[in-house]
Amino acid sequence: MNPTLRLAVFALLDKEMNNHGSWCGETHLQKATFVLQELLGAKTGYDFILYKYGPFSFEVRDDISLMRANGLIDVIVRDPQYGPSYVPTPFAEVFLQRFPKTVEAHHAQAKFVAENLGSKNVSDLERIATALFIRKRSKVKSRERRAEELVRLKPHISGPDALQATKDVDVLAERSKALVMHAHG
Amino acid sequence: MLRDSHHTGVAYGKFDHYRLIDEIRILPSNESPTEPALGIEEGGIYSAEALALARYFMFSQVYYHPIRLIYDRHLKDFLAEWLAKGDLFTGGTFSTKIEEHLHTTDNEVNAALLLAARNLNAAGHDSACRIVERKHFHVLYERNPSDIVLHSNPGEVIASAAAKQFGEKAIRYSKPKIKDTATDFPVKTRDGRIAPAISVSHVLAKLKPAAIDYVFIDPELLRTAEKWLAEERKKILEVAAKEEQEGDRK
Repeated sequence: MNPTLRLAVFALLDKEMNNHGSWCGETHLQKATFVLQELLGAKTGYDFILYKYGPFSFEVRDDISLMRANGLIDVIVRDPQYGPSYVPTPFAEVFLQRFPKTVEAHHAQAKFVAENLGSKNVSDLERIATALFIRKRSKVKSRERRAEELVRLKPHISGPDALQATKDVDVLAERSKALVMHAHG
Repeated sequence: MLRDSHHTGVAYGKFDHYRLIDEIRILPSNESPTEPALGIEEGGIYSAEALALARYFMFSQVYYHPIRLIYDRHLKDFLAEWLAKGDLFTGGTFSTKIEEHLHTTDNEVNAALLLAARNLNAAGHDSACRIVERKHFHVLYERNPSDIVLHSNPGEVIASAAAKQFGEKAIRYSKPKIKDTATDFPVKTRDGRIAPAISVSHVLAKLKPAAIDYVFIDPELLRTAEKWLAEERKKILEVAAKEEQEGDRK
């Protein structure tokens, strides 16, 4: 996917996440992009590593800066007690209209991610995204062993929470199957 | 930044670092209140604003100044041609062996630059002359916000059209990586609450990363190219915008 189309997919995801009530801070966008790419098969090509709060991509961070510089997103403070949010600008809508095919191809996927992650907070997203990271990158198949791996990687996550996050990811993967197949044509 | 500001003779990079250091605190993170993060007391917010502005100015006026960028490009062009000749290392690149790498200094490169600039037949002669004799390429186009409305990458489009019109050798394109200003740090307000910096400072809230995009041209063609661009820019961008949308539909 070329960098401009990738930016269109990212702008679409940001719009959907905001529409579905997400706080839309950087962590929310990082995890949503990870799920869109790894679970739903969007060909965004971001390189993710396991970082402080779970999967993280420096390229996603760069694209957030690029979107700000290009006037596609604005930074706002919804509540001074928490971190800032990234909201689409009116120009983002004009920008998205330039790429109708890309928007159409990714709309259902972005909406699925937003519907399922929009209400999650940073801690929820860290657990779910890390559980997905393990599911995709580890050879361990059993749910219990993956939950143990999640606790090993993120010791502040309790055993029951890790098991629940692993289960949630399996459910999400099952429910997203039709969309993944659709995305691959 | 203070060092760079001092040695380049510009005042943009200066800020009250003594006050800023005095006000730095370890505070609960904006992302997760149980996580520590580097923040400041509210009294230091003006120094933090000055740092952010200094960084913004240093990038736009010094680090990403068009003349610095084009010299960077001429040097890269020279190095690629000079190294490809294989006089210094076989393989056409700098050595990746540690000892050999450490033994290569600016002296070898500067000497090669001078020799290449004086010898018409030397590898990298043209680029070397541009550096040594200050005959660098000049700015033909720089990013304009109104062009972004037409096309996502106006600089790239103009560079491509200019290369077709004046030849690849006469055009260089530079789009350095965007450097954002870290404004997402916690601030301890005077009443003891913790807030994100952008909610305390209107300056930080408004500060956007600067996107920089330049098309350079051989100085001998500058006047002709400026006239050509003034006449063709809108058309070039409109055609490219149409192609961009058609590319999406393929």
